[in-house]
Amino acid sequence: MKKIFSFLLKDTGKLIAGLLLFAAALISELLSFDIASLILYICALLMAGHGVYISAVKGIVRRDFLDEKFLMSIASIGAMIVGEYSEGVAVMLFFLLGEIFEKKAVSRSRGKIRALLDICPDEATVIREGVEEVVDADEVAVGDIMLIRPGERVAADCRVISGSADVDTSAITGESIPRAVHPSDILESGVIVLNAALHCEAIRESSDSGAQRILDMVENASDRKSKEESFITSFAKVYTPIVVSLAILLATLPSIIGITEWSESVYRALIFLVISCPCALVISVPLAFFGGIGAAASRGILFKGGSSFAPLASARVVAFDKTGTLTEGKFVIKEIYPEGVSKETLIELASAVEYGSSHPIASALRACGGEVTPADNIEEYSGKGAVGYVGGIRIAVGNARLMEDEGARIPLSSTDKAGSRVYVSQGGEYVGAFLIKDSIKPEACEAITALRTLGIRKTVMLSGDKRTYAEAIACELSLDEFRAELLPEDKYSAIEEYKAEGKVMYVGDGINDAPALTYADVGVAMGLIGSDAAIETADAVIASDNLLRLPEAVRIARKTLMIAKSNIAFALTVKIAIMILGAFGIANMWLAVFADVGVAVLAILNSMRVLAFKGK
Amino acid sequence: MKYKFKITGLDCPNCAAKLASIIEAKDKVSSAKINFLTEKLTVESELGEPELKALVSDTATKFDKNVKIEA
Repeated sequence: MKKIFSFLLKDTGKLIAGLLLFAAALISELLSFDIASLILYICALLMAGHGVYISAVKGIVRRDFLDEKFLMSIASIGAMIVGEYSEGVAVMLFFLLGEIFEKKAVSRSRGKIRALLDICPDEATVIREGVEEVVDADEVAVGDIMLIRPGERVAADCRVISGSADVDTSAITGESIPRAVHPSDILESGVIVLNAALHCEAIRESSDSGAQRILDMVENASDRKSKEESFITSFAKVYTPIVVSLAILLATLPSIIGITEWSESVYRALIFLVISCPCALVISVPLAFFGGIGAAASRGILFKGGSSFAPLASARVVAFDKTGTLTEGKFVIKEIYPEGVSKETLIELASAVEYGSSHPIASALRACGGEVTPADNIEEYSGKGAVGYVGGIRIAVGNARLMEDEGARIPLSSTDKAGSRVYVSQGGEYVGAFLIKDSIKPEACEAITALRTLGIRKTVMLSGDKRTYAEAIACELSLDEFRAELLPEDKYSAIEEYKAEGKVMYVGDGINDAPALTYADVGVAMGLIGSDAAIETADAVIASDNLLRLPEAVRIARKTLMIAKSNIAFALTVKIAIMILGAFGIANMWLAVFADVGVAVLAILNSMRVLAFKGK
Repeated sequence: MKYKFKITGLDCPNCAAKLASIIEAKDKVSSAKINFLTEKLTVESELGEPELKALVSDTATKFDKNVKIEA
């Protein structure tokens, strides 16, 4: 008995019981048992509609009642009062059916989005005091040694201590090609270890790790609403009161003038109320944006919110930062020009002075390999270079200005090659130079072509680097324009100029890009491991550092907007059409409810299309 | 302090927004947001976790008996 009762409280139970009672009522009406059929209709209505009536009453108590439940209550009770019993019950049954469909569709898309974002493991295996222990992912502390077996997801950002393996980073970066990791490499949480077990030391707690940061970003994305989403919210606020007042007019005016009977005009007003329900819009439009955010996230593109879609979709100018965005951001030594010393000595001297430094030259020198003994009394001169002592002799490594300070004369030879030059002096005497160069990302050219195909009118590079070097890169990538030797504030004013030509997208990765990222119409940060300031200020983040994700982001943004706008247009057109038909007595209540539910379900299904976004 | 709860049983984003504003209007609650699609309720409050959870659950059930607050 209790089971039957609780089934009747569920939507499907209500629907089935309501339908049975409705059928019984129709049959008794046919057999002209009038009283019996009336009682059965009322029972059917209460069976199907009690939940709706309760919510409507609760809404009235809260003085916030103009919602779809209120509309349905008025429509069904009104129909009963004017004697249209079967239609009154049908309205409620259809509404219930629609609710069931909607819930199904919403929970399906919820499930899909959740699967896309199911990137945080719940558990991790840690080794404490030599014993393997399975703990909740939240319990992994910084410094814990985790054992990650093949097929498992990494629970917290960590550094590999022992073992080498291929890892699948697709959940984080959207890149499908596995990456090889070795001791001392960093692994982000959410990555799957493929073919060998790894021992790793946690460097962040799970709640600060890569996968969780992605989830937070996607979840909080609904705070930054798009124009379309806020349109729907404010629309629903003014829409229902307007519709209700129109319905009252429709119910009273024609019969006062004497065009129609009272009962007929009330009936028409009720149709008007039924069709006016805004659910289709209220659910489907936010769903489209959430779906877009989810689909993008699965490809390693993180939108901060619905508000990022429109400017990205309509960007006309794309401005790139150079180092780390168009280029790898890793310098390599292209050429070495020793002067009076051997190549090896030159490398040895420079390495000693640059030991432990964060200059690009330092990592390039480290890549040359070899044992390095640090120089004594190393001093760094910001914007110039570094000075130290090797065997008691003063060694300077840096740019031309540093050489000037040291009194070393740079010979005027081979200064035409593109790249940055680093000079070395020994005891005030010039002993040679390095030509260092950053290489262009292999996919940069393809990405820029793809952006052009999407209708981007202008691609520009804003660089802080030397003119000759910037020019070489702009030329190689056939960019439309470039500006070199810019300070961060110059990038800002350059973007201001470009804004005159249309919406500007800025793509950058470093701290110095933060002002430009904020000021551009839409800022895209490259790399989840890039600068926090860049990620913080950007509207979207490309987790993988891969430039090909940029055109994809534009396409996802356009598809999402298209779906949201088509839903708005579709739902409003159908509704307005049926409102007009209803007002002139051409549509009946069945059609109205059917149209209302149908539009809602179709709009929701349409929104879910965005989840099916494929790369090409 | 910011707390997160899972909230299930809401019918539509509109209802979610309404419930959020009702929770936000409570004493000692400085903000409340509901993400309808991820079914997450985020509340900022000076209350401790158990009291806040009781308050939120109570408010939600009064709003609609099908709405449940989970951990």
